[in-house]
Amino acid sequence: MQEPELHDLSDDSDYAASQLQQQQELKSMSRTDSGKKGGDNEPDGAEIVFVKDNVTIHPTQFASERISGRLRLIKHGALLFMTWIPYKEKTDCTAQSSSSNTKLSERDRNLYTIRAVPVTDIRSIRRHTPTFGWQYLIIVLSSGLAFPPLYFYNGGVREFLATLKQHVFLVRSADDANVFLVNDFQDPLQRSLSSLELPRAVSISNSSSTPTLASSAAQNDNSERTDDGSSSISQYGGRHGQKVHDPARDLSIQVLEKFSLVTKFARETTTHLLREIQNDGFLANDTKKQSQPLTNDNHETGLDDAQTVPNEISVTPDPLENTLCRKENHFKEAATRVGTFELVDSKEFDKLTLVWGQPRQPPLGSEEWATFLDAEGRILDSKSLRKRIFYGGLEHQIRNEVWKFLLGYHEYDSTYAEREYLASVKKADYETLKSQWQSISPAQARRFTKFRERKGLIEKDVVRTDRSASFYDGDDNPNVTLLRNILLTYSFYNFDLGYCQGMSDLLSPILFVMKDESESFWCFVSLMERLGPNFNRDQNGMHSQLFALSKLVELLDSPLHNYFRQNDCLNYFFCFRWVLIQFKREFDYEKMMRLWEVLWTHYLSEHFHLYVCVAILKKHRAKIMGEQMDFDTLLKFINELSGHIDLDVTLRDAEALCVCAGENGAACIPPGTPASLPIETELLYPLQDENDV
Amino acid sequence: MATMGNNNLNAKLVLLGDMGAGKSSLVLRFVKGQFLEFQESTIGAAFFSQTLAVNDATVKFEIWDTAGQERYHSLAPMYYRGAAAAIIVYDITSTESFTRAKKWVQELQKQGNPNMVMAFAGNKADLEEKRKVTTEEARLYAEENGLFFMETSAKTASNVNDIFYEIARRLPRAQPQNPAGMVLVDRPADRSQSAACCS
Ligand SMILES: Nc1nc2c(ncn2[C@@H]2O[C@H](COP(=O)(O)OP(=O)(O)OP(=O)(O)O)[C@@H](O)[C@H]2O)c(=O)[nH]1
Ligand SMILES: [Mg+2]
Repeated sequence: MQEPELHDLSDDSDYAASQLQQQQELKSMSRTDSGKKGGDNEPDGAEIVFVKDNVTIHPTQFASERISGRLRLIKHGALLFMTWIPYKEKTDCTAQSSSSNTKLSERDRNLYTIRAVPVTDIRSIRRHTPTFGWQYLIIVLSSGLAFPPLYFYNGGVREFLATLKQHVFLVRSADDANVFLVNDFQDPLQRSLSSLELPRAVSISNSSSTPTLASSAAQNDNSERTDDGSSSISQYGGRHGQKVHDPARDLSIQVLEKFSLVTKFARETTTHLLREIQNDGFLANDTKKQSQPLTNDNHETGLDDAQTVPNEISVTPDPLENTLCRKENHFKEAATRVGTFELVDSKEFDKLTLVWGQPRQPPLGSEEWATFLDAEGRILDSKSLRKRIFYGGLEHQIRNEVWKFLLGYHEYDSTYAEREYLASVKKADYETLKSQWQSISPAQARRFTKFRERKGLIEKDVVRTDRSASFYDGDDNPNVTLLRNILLTYSFYNFDLGYCQGMSDLLSPILFVMKDESESFWCFVSLMERLGPNFNRDQNGMHSQLFALSKLVELLDSPLHNYFRQNDCLNYFFCFRWVLIQFKREFDYEKMMRLWEVLWTHYLSEHFHLYVCVAILKKHRAKIMGEQMDFDTLLKFINELSGHIDLDVTLRDAEALCVCAGENGAACIPPGTPASLPIETELLYPLQDENDV
Repeated sequence: MATMGNNNLNAKLVLLGDMGAGKSSLVLRFVKGQFLEFQESTIGAAFFSQTLAVNDATVKFEIWDTAGQERYHSLAPMYYRGAAAAIIVYDITSTESFTRAKKWVQELQKQGNPNMVMAFAGNKADLEEKRKVTTEEARLYAEENGLFFMETSAKTASNVNDIFYEIARRLPRAQPQNPAGMVLVDRPADRSQSAACCS
């Protein structure tokens, strides 16, 4: 593994350096694949109108994981197709092509291959031109799917777009010169999306001199003159209001679309709530609001402006909340009344926040638990069990039984007898592992630096882990010794990973629940199967986590994301502790255990913890942006949230966000990001240098 | 970074040192006057601020407390970059922590800003009976490397405020017409805030 030693998340110059490195690697790559160009054949009658080599995707942000391929536009009859086929041979940048990496890439190659997508299926294309690195495109399909960014290592973005334009109706968005809309606009879904978006369009037109879209949209509603390929952008904008407000965020549009699929139940709840609020007089005709430019309509510049005016900071409204209300308008009122929502003070919408996260249920108790087990002790319907726990958690007295399933230590379809047998085998295994370090004599230890150091680290940490909890308090508490023994054994079991700060935090609740040394050990092993890469020396697990988190915030709250970007908080390092120890320090013990069992169900997502992060950040978005927190202040603020987070509310919000983000959310998360089970167990933990133990 | 407005100085300070050396305990003692026997390990980093009055000026310390384990070393530059001062902490009862402290000094000398005020703190001075690093050895090292040195105890509060005062005293005082002592900042976040900076 060739990660640079100082891999600083926030450091642009480091990034630039890594880009350089990649470019060098790229050179060698071009050499390797140059011989393969005539490789793939086209079906008869097809004409290749565009081809570009070394168009690459970055499944994760690591230089070691790149999949390069060939992008083509193929004309077949009247239809144009786009394909992107990864190169067959190993040409990505992993110079040390370890077997595990090859497998990973092979898998990803299949996963990411774009096989003949009709260009009519593409809704929009966004061009990105980063300061460092290559231009890339994000292609969003009308189905709601977005391909991962396609990086043009050899240039060619402009030609690609130019070629497309020759064959399909491609129009540059009025608001963002980097967004190109590919569409025939006859699609009913598109139209409904347009009407959803109208309110915001109205507010734009109010703050500018263009005719109000409310009227133009109404007028144009029946006109379907889409044959006019040369129609000007402004005309286009007038007809299709949705693209005016914010075409920049393709992914967010996906989210909006999700909202249009929200269940009837949710809609009704929303309607109900909104009516209540109306009755409470929240929906006052505050015209002041109307004249305020909505900064999220053009947040790229909007927040810059906000920064130059330090007083009276208007916090950009949460786009999801707006969507909700816009929906409301859509269903309840004709397009002629679309302006209503703009009159609502955005603060009041906190009350509406994502109302359809399901109410939490009481924890699963032992009686109900018994109903999930058959006579032999098998869990027949693990999915509904996990669902049940996701929504309610567990009563404490059954945790020690159920956690073993959630963690994967026990198989759901195992019987009582099998589990009992497993426990005895595992106990013996544990004793064997433990004896490995127990048998180290003082003389041997003197010559075994790594062991001594590791033991030292563990001993330093166990004596300051949860010592205020009665289970671990007092002098010579035997449970502290158990923590130490288990961690030391684990550091032999997984010698490559060793001991890392944070592990004692993860083990402490497990031992508290399991009580038994061997079972705690194996449950901890199972947990580390999922979370281990977070502790990697090169921090790649945490990089993936924080990268995914930033993508999710971008998707689910782009004004907040933009705020972070403009305040150099994009590395999301302020969430490091949340993620590394899974909110262990953010809640009291009982709540933390509840959260963990919910996360472990992997019910809605293996990465539910990331949605929890987004939910908490969103809860405080107004404060963060309103007080113009910089990185330092933000880190302090986040650390001090500890003990002040309402778990149930957070879980409901996170659930709503997760449902709402859907596949687009999942697409934000690089493959292999913990707590997914690792793709490959080999070489998960790159060997450390001699300083590290 | 140290920035000055009138007689008020803002100074970014970073604490570095082996895990368990007592970084968090020193900050906690300085900022809140507390000491916890079982101070939790630091995950990621923590941020504190505390203002000191020195002569006719005040110094507001913006303190970054980092995680000590070598594993998290790669994150440290994010914190020491742009720092006006650093306290490198070791535990007088642990020679390893002393070795590691010396490595931090080297790294800062190489990577940190050249005007950084560096303090070398031998912490847990109350544990005299377990001492492994002699005062002389540490003092000699500090002198050779242009650091100022104190033995501290977060537990008894001995020398804790003193070390921060001494840093405050030594921070370069840039005169508006002579910004030579000012620290140039390369962190973008600092740039955006430096409107108030007199440099
Ligand atoms: N006797 C004594 N113990 C101390 C002193 N300072 C810290 N400790 C103890 O040493 C342990 C570690 O202290 P921390 O302040 O957490 O150490 P740290 O350097 O912040 O450690 P990391 O966060 O892991 O890097 C705690 O149990 C403290 O109570 C001291 O001056 N005297
Ligand atoms: Mg600490």
